[in-house]
Order: sequence, then C-alpha cells, then structure tokens
Amino acid sequence: MTQPVSIIMIEDDEGHARLIERNIRRSGVNNEIISFANGTDAMKHLFGADGSGLVQKGNALLILLDLNLPDMTGIDILKQIKENKYLKASPVVVLTTTDDSQEIKRCYELGCNVYITKPVNYENFANAIRQLGLFFSVIQVPPAAS
Amino acid sequence: MTAATQRRRTFWQILLFAAGLLVLTVISAGSVYLVNKARDDSKWVVHTIEAENQINALLLEIRRAESAARGYLLTQAADFQVDHDKAVAAIIPALDKLTRLTGDNPAQRQNIEKLSAAIETRLGQFVQEMDFSRRGEPEKAVALVRELASTDATAAIANVATVMIQEEERLFRLRTVNSDRSQTLAASMTGIGSGLVVLLALISIWLVRRSALARDDAEARLRDANVNLEAVVDERTADLREANNEIQRFAYIVSHDLRSPLVNIMGFTSELEELGGDIFRRIGGLTHVPADGPPLPGEAALEGPDKQLSADFSEALGFIKSSIAKMDRLISAILNLTREGRREFQPEKIDTRGLIEAIVSTLAHQAAEAQAEIHVAPLPDLVSDRLALEQIFSNLIDNAIKYLKAGAPGEIRIRGRTKLGYAIFEISDNGRGIDPKDHQRIFDLFRRAGTQDKPGQGIGLAHVRALVRRLGGTMSVSSELNTGSTFTITLPITWNASNRNVDQ
Repeated sequence: MTQPVSIIMIEDDEGHARLIERNIRRSGVNNEIISFANGTDAMKHLFGADGSGLVQKGNALLILLDLNLPDMTGIDILKQIKENKYLKASPVVVLTTTDDSQEIKRCYELGCNVYITKPVNYENFANAIRQLGLFFSVIQVPPAAS
Repeated sequence: MTAATQRRRTFWQILLFAAGLLVLTVISAGSVYLVNKARDDSKWVVHTIEAENQINALLLEIRRAESAARGYLLTQAADFQVDHDKAVAAIIPALDKLTRLTGDNPAQRQNIEKLSAAIETRLGQFVQEMDFSRRGEPEKAVALVRELASTDATAAIANVATVMIQEEERLFRLRTVNSDRSQTLAASMTGIGSGLVVLLALISIWLVRRSALARDDAEARLRDANVNLEAVVDERTADLREANNEIQRFAYIVSHDLRSPLVNIMGFTSELEELGGDIFRRIGGLTHVPADGPPLPGEAALEGPDKQLSADFSEALGFIKSSIAKMDRLISAILNLTREGRREFQPEKIDTRGLIEAIVSTLAHQAAEAQAEIHVAPLPDLVSDRLALEQIFSNLIDNAIKYLKAGAPGEIRIRGRTKLGYAIFEISDNGRGIDPKDHQRIFDLFRRAGTQDKPGQGIGLAHVRALVRRLGGTMSVSSELNTGSTFTITLPITWNASNRNVDQ
C-alpha cells in the first residue's frame, strides 16, 4: 500500500460512531478515521466543492455508511459514490440498524461491498465490527481511480 | 324531501280519503232517503187522483142508474131494467171503495157520511121508481121523478161530490208540489254529491301525481347515488389503504429510530460493565497491597463492602441490560409486524389439511409433553398465501397446546366448512379458556390474559389477526374460563390479489 487508507465514517449518531471506532481500534486497525455526522458534510468532503470527486483522486478510501441520516438517505450517498468515476472503486460498508431484506438487496444492487446490521446485542455488534477490522486488514483498497 | 313534508302529505291523503268516503256515505244515505220520500209523495199524488176518479166513477154509476131507470120508464124494455140493476149494484161497492180511499182525511170522511146518506135516500127512491114502473103505474113513477128532480137528494149528492172533488184537487196540488220538491231535492243532492266526488277525485289525482313525481325524483337520485357509490367506495378504499400504508411507514420508522439509541445504550452499558470489571479489579489489587511492596499483579478477590459494591454494580447493569433486551424484542416484534404488513402475498392453491398436518407434526413434541391429542377434520382447500396461513395456524395451534389445563389430557380439534365463498375454520381446545372480558384484549399487541405462567410476548394473536385481515377474512373467539376456547377464522376461498394487497 503506497498510501495509508483513510476510513470515512458517515454516521449521525455520535454514540454509534464512538462504539464503531472503539471496536475498530480494538481489532488492531490504526488507520485514520474521519467522522461525519451528516450527509452534506460527508458529500462535501468526498466530492469536493465542485462535486466532481476530483479532490479524492489518488486517495485510498474506505467508507462506512449509515443509511438513516438526518439530511439525506445513505442510499443516495451510496449511489453517487458508485456513479463517480474517482470514488466507485472505494469499498463501501453499509452499517445500519435496518435489517430489511429489501433494503439490503437494494444496497448490494447499488454496489455496496458489505452490509452490516447493527445489532442491539453488544457482543454481536462488537464481533461484527471486529470482523470488519479483519476485513480491512486483508482488503486491498485501491486508490481512487485517476 | 323531509320527513315532516312526507308526514304532512300522508296526513292530507288520509284526510282526503276520509272526506271522500264521508261525502259518498252522506250522499248515498241522502239519496236513498230523498228517493223514498219522492216515491211516497208520488204515491200520495196517485192516491189523490185515484180518490178523485173514484168520486167520478160513483157519480157516473148514479147517473147510469138514473138514466137506465128513466129509459125503463119510457120504454119498459127489460134491457134498461138489467142495466139499472147493474148500476145500482155497483154503487155500494164504489161508495165503499171511496170510503176506503178517503179514510185518511177527516174532512172527506164527513163528506162521505153526507154522501152516503144522500145516496141511500136516492137508492130508496130508485127502488120506489122501479116498483111503480114494474107495476105498470108510469104516471106515479113520472110524478115521482118530477118530484125527485126538485128534492134535495140529487142536489146533495152533486154538492157533496163537488166539495169532495175540490178537496181532492186541493190535496192533489199540495201533494204535487211536495213531490216535485223532493224530486228536485234528490236530484240536486245527487248532483252536488257527484260534483264533490269528482272534485275529490281530482284532488286525489293531483296528489297521486305529485307523489309519483316525488317518487320518480327519489328513484333518479337513488340511481345516481348507486352509480356514485362505487366511486365513493373506491375512493374510501384508496384513502384507507393510504392511511394503512402511512401507519405501516410510521411504525417502521418509529421502531427503527427507537432501535438506534438502544444500540448506544446497550453498547455503552456493556462498555460500562467492562469498565466496572476493570475498576473493581484495580480496587481489589489496591486493597491487597502489602505495606511495603508494590501492588500485587493479577486479580485479587474483593472483600466486605467492596464486594457488596461490585455486586450492586453488576445487578444494576444486569437490570439495564435485560430491560434493553426486552425492549429490543418488542421493537423487533413491531418491526416484524409492519414488515409482515408490507410483504406481498403470493396466492397459490393450498391443500389446507396437508398444511395443518405438517404444522401439527412440527408441534408433535410439545403436544406429547402436554398430553394433548390433535384431531384434524377434512378441511376446505384455499387459494391463498402459504406463509401467512402457516403462521396463522401454527400460532393458534401452538397457543392451544400452550394454554391447556395443567394435569388434564388436552384435546384440540381443527374443523372447517365453506359458506358463500368463504372457508370457516375452527380451532377448539379444552384448555383453560379465556375470560370474556379479555376477548378483545388478547388480540392487542403486547397484551396477554389469564395466569402468566408461560413465556410469551403477547404478539401471536395480534399477528394472526393482522394476517387474517390482510387475507380478507375475520376472526373471533368464543370462550369461557376453564371450558376451553374456540377460535373461528373466516377466509375467502380464493384470495384476490387486487382486493387487499398493500401497495408497495
């Protein structure tokens, strides 16, 4: 990996963000984690001021995405990421409370790489995130296409 | 048209009818009376004429007797004598008849008496006259006749007869006037009556016409309403479906958003638990520090109040966690229910008995434990959603097994029949039963009834009822405490995807 992978976490619930971060760290992943509590800020960061995504050119990103955001749906963000030529190669992990099969199907159709349901049971939750950390350590994150 | 108008109209119609009836009755009675009176009056007129005729007839007979006697006197012919005798013989009956006819009139009776006396005298003279003639003494007879012409008897007869005829004529005029009057009265009565009847008939026709128009109007409106009804029903159905979808979305979002903070509460509670463990381990380590050395590595048992603190801490966290777990289950239940409400049904032909026997075989273990026997009668087949039917029947049979009376062998029966396009299923048991006051409650979400000695969330029946409703059916329960329960489910034999499916 020529460039360290940044983890972009788009999660409106601060508590969830903290729990996810803790468990990622516990699994031994030490990459930079950039958190966003709403969709607008995250979109600005990902796509830049001009909305083209050019700002991320050459960056290796891994995106953790919640579907229920206050200002937009995660589905929209997922769609735009997968339609953007610079970002479409970045793995997207959808992490949400919804376990609705329709929604899961929709996310995979749109190109999400992993779909994780946040269980209320914390043990399961921690396990899921730790396995995600394992996934991070083995996955080859390509830099955003040029 | 208002009810008051309708009532008033009916009232007027009844009144009109009664008036018509009254008028007809009065006219009929009046006519009968007047016609009778007119007939009576005519009879009296005829009677008067008869009496007058009789007077004239009597006079005629007297004159005949007189002229026959004279003829005999002149010619001595036997013919005249016979004629005279006949006339004389007719006089008395004629007088009697006249007496009878005028018996009703006191004035005439007096006249009759006078007349009778005069006639008697005259008849005596006739006898004398004829005797003289027969004996061949015509001079005597002529003298007698001459003498008679100047006597009173003939004049008296003529006078009395004239008086009587005048009296009868007076009566005739009087009675004619009477008779005319009653006839005129009868005629006008009939005329007025007919006029009234015609008038009433006209009013009736007008009223009938008016109500016929009102009826036509109402019919037209009814037709319009019928035509509109379909549209209105469609509209309402669409509204209801929309409202139902709204509730589904609402429940889904709420349950979803409720779950999100729950993840935090559970997560940080678990973190706290771990932290607590760490803290108490350190406290344990610190209390066991030897006076002169460094703290002992590894774990150390807590003692006294520290142990109590640790236990309290764990207990508190334990309650929090079990409550969170419970809340999570409830939210999951709501989510499942709303999800079930959003699932599209796939109608297919279903061998209902086969389906239920499959359910029974999966529940065989529980049934054996509860010493329950399950009897499945032949059941009508359906075209419906398989999964929904499985959930409905397995919930109900599971409940039946679960809530049997302790210690008594259970008996569960599943029966079915069809009626008017619907299949009716009955699942009955001899279990502990349900108090009638709880019959509504048991179908509510998270509500249970009776002794709470079995695990459960209070979801099953709410779920079953929601499914039955979505399948276009109804369900009810009949039960008494300690006498078992019967759940009745009515489902359309062929579920029509268009009628109840929730639009996605």
